[in-house]
Amino acid sequence: MASKTILELKQVDKFFGDKAAVERISLEIVEGEFFTIVGPSGSGKTTLIRMLVGMDTPSRGDILLRGERINDVPANKRPTCMVFQSLALFPHMTVGENVAYPLKCRGIEPGARKARAEECLTLAHLPMEYYDRPVTQCSGGERQRVALARALAFDPDILFFDEPLSALDYKLKKLLEKELKDIQRETGKTFIYITHSLEEAMVMSDRIGVMNEGRMVQIGAPREIYRRPNSRFVSEFMGEVNVLPVTAKGGKLHCQSLGTSFEVPPGAQETDGVLIIRPEDMRFVNGEPPVNGVLSGEIFNEYLLGSRVQYQVRAGGTTLLVEKQRDSAAPDPAARITFAPENSMLFAE
Amino acid sequence: MTSDRTLLGDRLLRSYVIFVIIVFYVPMLAVALASISRSRFFVFPIRRTSWKWYNDTFASLQIKEAALTSITIAFFVAILSVALALAGALAYARYDWKGKRVYQQLLLVPIFFPQSVLGLALQIWFSSIGVQMTWTATVFAHLVWIAPIVTLIIAIQAFGYDASIEEAAMDLGASRWQVFRDITLPLLGPGIFSGFLFAVLLSWGNFPLSYFTSGASVTIPEWLYGKMIGGYTPMVPAVGFLSVIAGAIVLIVGLTINNRLQRR
Repeated sequence: MASKTILELKQVDKFFGDKAAVERISLEIVEGEFFTIVGPSGSGKTTLIRMLVGMDTPSRGDILLRGERINDVPANKRPTCMVFQSLALFPHMTVGENVAYPLKCRGIEPGARKARAEECLTLAHLPMEYYDRPVTQCSGGERQRVALARALAFDPDILFFDEPLSALDYKLKKLLEKELKDIQRETGKTFIYITHSLEEAMVMSDRIGVMNEGRMVQIGAPREIYRRPNSRFVSEFMGEVNVLPVTAKGGKLHCQSLGTSFEVPPGAQETDGVLIIRPEDMRFVNGEPPVNGVLSGEIFNEYLLGSRVQYQVRAGGTTLLVEKQRDSAAPDPAARITFAPENSMLFAE
Repeated sequence: MTSDRTLLGDRLLRSYVIFVIIVFYVPMLAVALASISRSRFFVFPIRRTSWKWYNDTFASLQIKEAALTSITIAFFVAILSVALALAGALAYARYDWKGKRVYQQLLLVPIFFPQSVLGLALQIWFSSIGVQMTWTATVFAHLVWIAPIVTLIIAIQAFGYDASIEEAAMDLGASRWQVFRDITLPLLGPGIFSGFLFAVLLSWGNFPLSYFTSGASVTIPEWLYGKMIGGYTPMVPAVGFLSVIAGAIVLIVGLTINNRLQRR
């Protein structure tokens, strides 16, 4: 695949008063890519996307679309378009009028408008009889599809999404995530999606950018972000983890609260900080005597998480999380736990 | 036991509501009765009824002229206040700018001024800047009071829908004018219409501002006042009652149209 940069950000800052909402973000997005920006609320992702679509201008830095600086080009002059979190459908129009609106703005004659709008309805899996239905009579999922069809009718170079699925129920959300991914593949368009939900990001994206406090803290493929987070923030954002405070001592990491030492993860520099282990990387050991790297504790809670079971284990004043496949044998309540050093991550603090 | 009690509560509440309605509307009824009494002075019970005063009212050139003046003023006040209020409400609801809070407060203050004081102040002001006291001056006097109210009404409508709808239209390639024509105006429609209605009715019924600023022009409320303090005839209640009926018709027709607009 010839990867051509479609959108480039160079050291983009956005200040509101003295407060930086977005700080020194540099980013290159490739033509035809599904890129997701994920971060907690207040991380600056909405501010960033507003600058990308042209509803705000950067305080510093440049935004380049196919090599051309578009910092000050307003939203209605950009070949990009966004599906809003609120969807922002026009409540006084029918489904068809909504979808055809970008074509109307462009001065396309009504016949061609309708034909194109119908194409987009089909693409968004909306039946044709919805064309003349008032948009206020559509259900939540149907509205999503109308908003998507309307954006597709615009035929943008880049399609932006500002958490449009956050208000839907789980099943519908999953369905629409898959459809969105399919449409992206079919149309070959560049999609830039923002969300606070890691799960959403993982399912759909080619690459993910994680934001925190106005900065892009890590960019990578979903797997890479999950397996090799570059900071404690990213690892914790990617799901529940065990965090063990450790001090470096003679080539080992000593955890005061648990009274145990651990191996330094391979490739990591020995340092004081936190050792992070995902619950699914923890495992129970039976019958072995307590040695370094093995923790003793007591199971006090268990939760069924679909195909897995999560155990809460009280050990040395902290609570550890351990996950196992549901059908594996029940562990001893007086549990001993261990993990492989290569599955742990060490971050200096 | 509780159901008995709620039943009693319901009954008390209902009686209270009926009582309030009666207290509000009986005076109107008294005016209506006074207007059909044949005798020149109002005595109760009415001995003989007659439509004479209504015939006289419809025949009177003076009253016709006053009605025409009132209608003209109401019309211009409504048009101008809607134009001012639409711009004002959008500035208020859609944009952030320095001094917005002060603007909000300054906008509200004229609504709460005692109107006779406002009328007097405007009279002094108009004469000091050389504005003739005629019905045109009254239009501006009414605007000082009515435009802020209409601004509030339209602003409420503007706050009633998500501003991202306008952003979305722009993002889809609409120019500012297209956004205004296709999105803002239709969505503010019901608010603009209610604002227009309010402006007509408030202007139609206003006395103090007209009294101080209309000079030789006479509006219906002014005519009523004039006849009340000198030269009472049952034409006063007749005109008063007709004026209320006219207002009610405007209101009912207006609300019906507005319901249609809202439902769309």
